[in-house]
Amino acid sequence: MKEITYINPVLLIAVPLALAFIIPILKFVWEKSIKWIPVAGFLFDLIVSITLIPIVLQKNIIVKIGGTTTPFSINLVVGPAGLLLSIMISLAGFLVAIYALKYIQEGDKTKYHILFMLLLTGAIGVVLTGDIFNLFVFFEVLCISSYALVGYLGNRAGIESSIKYLIQGSIGSSLLLVGIGLIYGQYGTLNMADLAAQIKTADSISLFVPMFFMITGLGIEAAIFPLNSWLPDAHSSAPSSISAVLSGIAIEVGLYAMMRILFTIFAAESFMGFLLFLGVITLLIGEMSAFSQNNIKRMLAYSSIGQIGLIVFAFSIATASGLSGGFFQMISHTLNKALLFLATGFMIYRTGSMEISSFRGLGKKMPLTALFFTIGTFSIIGLPPFVGFASKFLIFKAALAKQELLFIILIAVIILTTVIEGAYFFRIIQTLYFKESDDKSSKQESAITALIPMFIFALLILILGIYPNWIMKFIHSAASELLNKMSYLRSVLG
Amino acid sequence: MNILLMILSAIISLVTGMFFLGLARKIMAMIHWRYGPPIYQPLIDVIRYFHQRAVSHGFIFDLGIIISLIGSLLVVFFLPLGNISSFSNSGGLLVILYILILSPLGLALSSGESANPNASIGISRKLILTLSYEFVLIIILLSLMSQYQTISLQEIVMLQARKVWSFASWKLILPGIAYLLILPAMLGFRPFEIAGASQEISAGPSVEFGGKYLALNTINHGLLHFITIALFVNLFLGGGDLFGIFDSISGTFWGSFVSLIIFLIKMILIFVISVFINAVFPRLRLEQATKYILYYPLSIAIVGLIIVVAIN
Amino acid sequence: MILFYMMIFAFVGAFLIYFAGKSFPRIKEILAVVISFLLFLFVALLYGKDFQINYHNFLGFHLFLRINMFSWLFALTITFLGFLSIIFSLSYMKDKKNNAFYYMNMLFVNIAMLGIVLAGDLISFFIFWEIMSWSTFLLISYKKGSALPASMKYIIMSIIGSLSMLIGILYLYDLTDTTIISQLSHIIRFINKGDVIFVVILFSIAFGIKNAVIPFHNWLPPAHSEAPSPFSAILSGILIKMGVYGFLLLFYVIIGLDIIFHLTGLTIVLNVLAAITIIFPTFLAILQNDAKRLLAWSTVAQAGYIFMGITYGTELSVAGGIFHFLNHAIFKALMFLAVGAIEYRTKGIRDLNSLGGFIKKMPFTFAAMLIGAMGLIGLPLTNGFVSKWLIYKTLILNGSPFLAFAALIGTWGTILYSYKLIHNIFLGQLPAKFENIQKAPFSMKMPMMILSTIIIFFGILPGIPLQFINKIIVSFGYHPLNVSLFGIVSDSGNLNIINILAATFVIGVLIVLFFRSGRKSVRVDQYDNYAAGSFIPKEKYSYTNSFYAPLDRFLNSFLKDYIDIFYCKSAALIRHFCNGIRKIYTGYVGSYVMYILLFLAVLIFVQLNWSVF
Repeated sequence: MKEITYINPVLLIAVPLALAFIIPILKFVWEKSIKWIPVAGFLFDLIVSITLIPIVLQKNIIVKIGGTTTPFSINLVVGPAGLLLSIMISLAGFLVAIYALKYIQEGDKTKYHILFMLLLTGAIGVVLTGDIFNLFVFFEVLCISSYALVGYLGNRAGIESSIKYLIQGSIGSSLLLVGIGLIYGQYGTLNMADLAAQIKTADSISLFVPMFFMITGLGIEAAIFPLNSWLPDAHSSAPSSISAVLSGIAIEVGLYAMMRILFTIFAAESFMGFLLFLGVITLLIGEMSAFSQNNIKRMLAYSSIGQIGLIVFAFSIATASGLSGGFFQMISHTLNKALLFLATGFMIYRTGSMEISSFRGLGKKMPLTALFFTIGTFSIIGLPPFVGFASKFLIFKAALAKQELLFIILIAVIILTTVIEGAYFFRIIQTLYFKESDDKSSKQESAITALIPMFIFALLILILGIYPNWIMKFIHSAASELLNKMSYLRSVLG
Repeated sequence: MNILLMILSAIISLVTGMFFLGLARKIMAMIHWRYGPPIYQPLIDVIRYFHQRAVSHGFIFDLGIIISLIGSLLVVFFLPLGNISSFSNSGGLLVILYILILSPLGLALSSGESANPNASIGISRKLILTLSYEFVLIIILLSLMSQYQTISLQEIVMLQARKVWSFASWKLILPGIAYLLILPAMLGFRPFEIAGASQEISAGPSVEFGGKYLALNTINHGLLHFITIALFVNLFLGGGDLFGIFDSISGTFWGSFVSLIIFLIKMILIFVISVFINAVFPRLRLEQATKYILYYPLSIAIVGLIIVVAIN
Repeated sequence: MILFYMMIFAFVGAFLIYFAGKSFPRIKEILAVVISFLLFLFVALLYGKDFQINYHNFLGFHLFLRINMFSWLFALTITFLGFLSIIFSLSYMKDKKNNAFYYMNMLFVNIAMLGIVLAGDLISFFIFWEIMSWSTFLLISYKKGSALPASMKYIIMSIIGSLSMLIGILYLYDLTDTTIISQLSHIIRFINKGDVIFVVILFSIAFGIKNAVIPFHNWLPPAHSEAPSPFSAILSGILIKMGVYGFLLLFYVIIGLDIIFHLTGLTIVLNVLAAITIIFPTFLAILQNDAKRLLAWSTVAQAGYIFMGITYGTELSVAGGIFHFLNHAIFKALMFLAVGAIEYRTKGIRDLNSLGGFIKKMPFTFAAMLIGAMGLIGLPLTNGFVSKWLIYKTLILNGSPFLAFAALIGTWGTILYSYKLIHNIFLGQLPAKFENIQKAPFSMKMPMMILSTIIIFFGILPGIPLQFINKIIVSFGYHPLNVSLFGIVSDSGNLNIINILAATFVIGVLIVLFFRSGRKSVRVDQYDNYAAGSFIPKEKYSYTNSFYAPLDRFLNSFLKDYIDIFYCKSAALIRHFCNGIRKIYTGYVGSYVMYILLFLAVLIFVQLNWSVF
C-alpha cells in the first residue's frame, strides 16, 4: 500500500504558536511587520488544513508525539470534524487578521497580535486534540487570551466585562478540571479514545457527576443558557475584530468540545433530550433579549447566543442529518457573525457610537460596508440564496425527519425566534438605508483592508448558499465521525 | 323579430313610465283635495324642457345622464313584459342586477361633475340608501333563485305560471313582504325621499339639470318606476299570468296582448299603493331610513332565505 | 434549459441595471425597459410549451423549472404588468434619488415571481418565494418615513408565512420522499387524510398571508399605500396573487380534486373565510380617506372573490377565480397607476378630502380610472363582469346563497368606494391651489391606455382569455366550460355579451342622437351653480370632505380592523415580554456565578434523585 505523504498536522498548532512568540522578538527588529504575522500564520494553517481534506476524508490522521500514551503526551486526532473546524478557525483568523491591519490603531498592538494568535491556536488545539487533558490546556489558552482581549481597549466597560468574564470563565475551567480529575481517578487514562473504549455508555452516577462538571465547565464557554451571562458584556466591549472571533469561533469551539465529550466519551444519548430543550431555550432567550437592544454589538452578541442555541438543538437531534445541520450552522454562523461584527466595527468607528439609531443613512455613506452587513443579516435570518438558509433548512429537515410531535412543537418555537430575529435585523436594515441622517458629510467607506475580508466572507456566504453541495460531503463525514463512536475508537486505537 | 320586440318594450316602458309620473301627481293632488295636472302633463313637460336652454358642466355631465338612461333602457330589455321578452336569456337576473347599477352610477357621475354641493350631498345619500336596500334586494333575489334553481328571470315567471305565484306560496311570502317594504325606497318615494329631497337640498343629484338634461332625467325617473315595479310583478305576481285563465290562447298574438295588459294592470295596482304610502308619510332622515331598512325588511328577508335554504 | 437561461439573463440584467445606474445614469431606464420587455417576449413565445428541466441540485434536492399552460398564464401576467409598471416608473421615479436601486429591486421582484410560477419543485418554489419577500420588503421601505413600519409589518408576516410553508414542504417530503410537483401529485393519494390536512394548513398560512385572506390581511393596507405607486400596482396586481397561485398549485395540482374536496370541513372553513374577506374589507374601504389605502382594502376584498372562486371548487368557480385573478391584476394595476399619476402631479397628495375636480386637468387619467372602476365594480362590457358572473352563478346554483350574498353585497360596497374615489379626486370642485396641474406624461399614459383597452377587450370578448383558462381547468381535472367568443353557454342560464353590446350600442346611439337634437347647452364654469338662493363661498366649501358622512358615523362605531389591533397588541406584549427576559442578565456577577452553580447543582440533584438521564 502506497503511503500518502502529507504535512504533519502538528504544524497547524506549532507554527502559529511559534509565530506568536516570535512577535515580541520581532518587535525590536522590525516593528511594522508584526501585524502581518497573524496573517501569515493563519494563511499557512488554512492552506495546510485544506491540503489535508482529501486524506482525512479517507481516514483519520493520528499523531502521537513522543510515541507514548502517557497522559501528558500530545496526541492529535485529525478527523473530518476537527479539520472542518480548524479550517473555519484558520479562515476566520486569516481574514480577521487582514481586517485588523488597519482596524487596530490604539493600545499595545504587539500584545493584541500575540493574544489573537494564542486565542486561535488554542482553538485549533481544542478541535484537533485527542486527549482530554490537552483539551483542557488548549482551552485555557483560548480562555485566558480572550479574557485579556476583551479588556484590550482598557476602557471601563472593557475592564469590567473582562473581570466578569474572568470570574465566570475560571469557575468554568475549574469545574472542567474537576470533571477531568474525577474521570482520571476512575479510569487512569486521559486519552479520549481510551476512555471511550472503557465507558460503553454513561450509566452510573460516578460517570454522571464528572460529565455534569465537564458540561457545566464547557457550557460556560459554549454560552449555553443559563451559563452565558458573560457573553453579552464580553462580546460587546471587545474590539470588533475580537468580537468576530469570539462570536464566530470561540463559543463554537466550546460547543464542539462539549459535543465531542458527550458523543465520544460518554455516549450520553439520554442527555440529548435535555440538551434539546436547553438549546431551544437558549435560542429563545438569546433572540428575545436581542429584540429590544439598541446597542448593536450587544444585539449581535445576544444573537450569537440564539445561534448557539440553534446549533445545540441541531446537535441534540443526534442523527446524522441533525449533526450535519449543526456543523453547517456552525459554518454559516462563523461566516455570518464574523461578517456582521467586522462590518459593525467600521460602522462604529465612523459614527463613534454603538447605538443603532446613529447608523442612519450609512447605506449612503458606506455603501459597501452596509451592503455586506445586509448580506450578513439576510443570511443569519435564513433567507435564500444565502448560506444561512441552507443551514436552517438542514436543521428543520433533520428535526422533521424524526416525525415526532415534540419536534414539531420545538420547530414552532424556533420559527417564533426566527420571526423575532427577522424583526430586529430588518429594523437595522431600515435604519441603514431608509432613514435620513442628520449630518450631510460625504462618503466614507471602510478601509480597503477591511473591505477585502468582508467581501470574502460575503462571497462565501453567497456561494455556499447557492452551492451548499460543495461542502456537504465533508460535513457528512464530520457528522458521522462525531456520531459514530466505534469508528473513532478503531481509528485511534487501531 | 327581436328588434321589433325591443322597440315595442322600449315604447311600452317609456309610455308607462310617463304615465306613472302623471298618475302619481294626479293621485297626490286628489289626496290633497286639489284638481291636479292632467295625466299627460309629464310628457308635455319633457317636450318643453327639451326646447329650453340648459347649462352644461362638462363632458361627463353630458355623458353621465346618457349612461344613466342607457342603463335604464337596457334593463327593460332583460325584463319579460307579459310574454314579451327580448333578452331574458342573456345572463338572467345577475345581469339585471348589474345593469341596474348603471343608472345610479351615470347619474352620480353627472351630478358629481356639476360641482354643486347639493348634488354631492344628494348623490352620497342616494348611494348609501341604495346600499342599504340592496342588502334586502339581494337576499330576496337569492331566495327566489335558490327556490327556483335558475338565474333566468323568464324561467322564474314561467314556473310561477305553472305552479303558484311566489307571493301566494308560503315559502316565498316573506321575501315578497320584504320587497314591498323596500319598494318606496327603491322608487324614491316618501318616507324615503331622501336623495332627491326637493325642499331640503334642491332635488339633490338633479339640482344642476335643466333643459334637455332635465328631460332625460324625467324620462329616466319614469323608467325607474317602471323597472322597479315590473321586477316585483315578475318575481312575485307571476308576470302576465292570471291563474292560467288565458293559457288556451298563449303563444298567439292575442295571448301576448292579454298577458301584457294583465301585467300592466298588476303594475298599476302596485304603483297606486306606493303612491298612497308616499302621500301619507313624512320624510325620514337618512340614518332613520337606513336603520329601518336594516332592521325590519332585512330580518324578514333573511328569515325568508333561511326557510328557502332549509327546505331545499 | 431555455427557462434557466431566461432566469439567469434576468438576474444578471437586474444587477447590470444597478451597476449601470452607478456609472451611466442615463442607461438604466432604457436597460430596465428593455430587459422587462424581453422577459415578456420570452414568456409570450413559450406559449403552449409543456416541459420541465432540472437546473440545480441543492442539498440533495433536485430543483426543476417547468412550464405549462397554468404557469404560462401567470408568467405572462407577471411579465406584462412588470413591463408596464416599469414604463410608468420612468416618469414617476425620474426625480427620485437612488432609482437604480429601485429598478433593480423591481426586476428582482418580477423575476422572483416568475421563478415562483415556473418552479417545478417545492424547494425552488420556496427559494423564489423568499427572494420575492425580501426584495418586496426593500421596495416597500423605499419611500422611507411611514413606509418603514408598513414594511416591517409585511416582512414579519411574510417570515411567519414562509417558515410555515418550509415546514409544510419538509413535512410533505418526509411523507413522500420527494418535492417535485409532478411526482407529488401521484404519491399524495397514499398519504392519510390527517397529514394532508396538516400540510394544507401549513401551506394555507403562507398563501393566506400573501393573498391577504382574513385573518392574515393586516400587512396589506399599509404596505400597499406606502409603496411607490408603480410598485403598488405590481403588489396589488400580481404579488399577492402568488398566494392564489400557491393555493391553485396546492389544491388542484399537488393534492388534486379527488382528495381536496373530501377533506371534511376544509372547504367550508375556507369559503367562510373568503366571504368574510369580501365583506369587511369592502366596508373598511368605504371608510378610508387615503386613495391608496382605499384601493388597498379593495384589493383585500377582491382577493376574497378570487379566493372564494378557487376554494369553492366547481368548474365555474375555479374558472371564475382564475379569470378574476387576471382581471383584477389588470384593473387594480390600472387604478393604482392612475392614483400614482395624481400623486406624481400633486407632489404626493393622496388624501381624498383635499383633492377634487381633476377631470378638467387630467381627463385621460380620469378615463383610465373610470374604466378601471367599472371593471372593479364589474359592470357589463368590462372584464370584471364575466368573472364575477361565473362566481355568482355557481354560488347560487350550487346552493350557497349566503356566500352569494356576501359576494353580491360586496359589489355594492365596491360601487360606493369606487365612486368615492372617482368623485373625490376627479369630480366636484377643483381647489384653487390645483389650478396649474398638468396632464399626466406620456410614459404614464401609455400603460394606462393599454390596460384600459384590455379591460374593455376582455369584457366584450371574454371567450379569448376563457379559452386559456379552460385549458388550465381541464389540466386540473375539470370538464371544460362551453365557451363561445362572446360568452358562456349552459343549461342553467347563458351569458351572451354580444346581445348586451349590441343593445347598448343601439340604445346609446339613439339616446345620443336624441340628446344632440335638443337645444345646445351652454358650458359654465364650476363656480356658476344653483344654490337655491344661498351663497356658496368659493374657498370654504369642500365638496369632497367626508363624502359618506352618515355612513362613516354609522360604521365607525363598530367597524374597525380588530385583527390588526389584536396583532399590534400582541406584538407590543411580546416586546414587553422580551424586555423582561433581558433582565435575566442582571449585570451583577454574583448572580451569574449563582446561575452556573445552580445549573450544576440542579443537574446533579435531578440525576441523584430521579436518574432521568
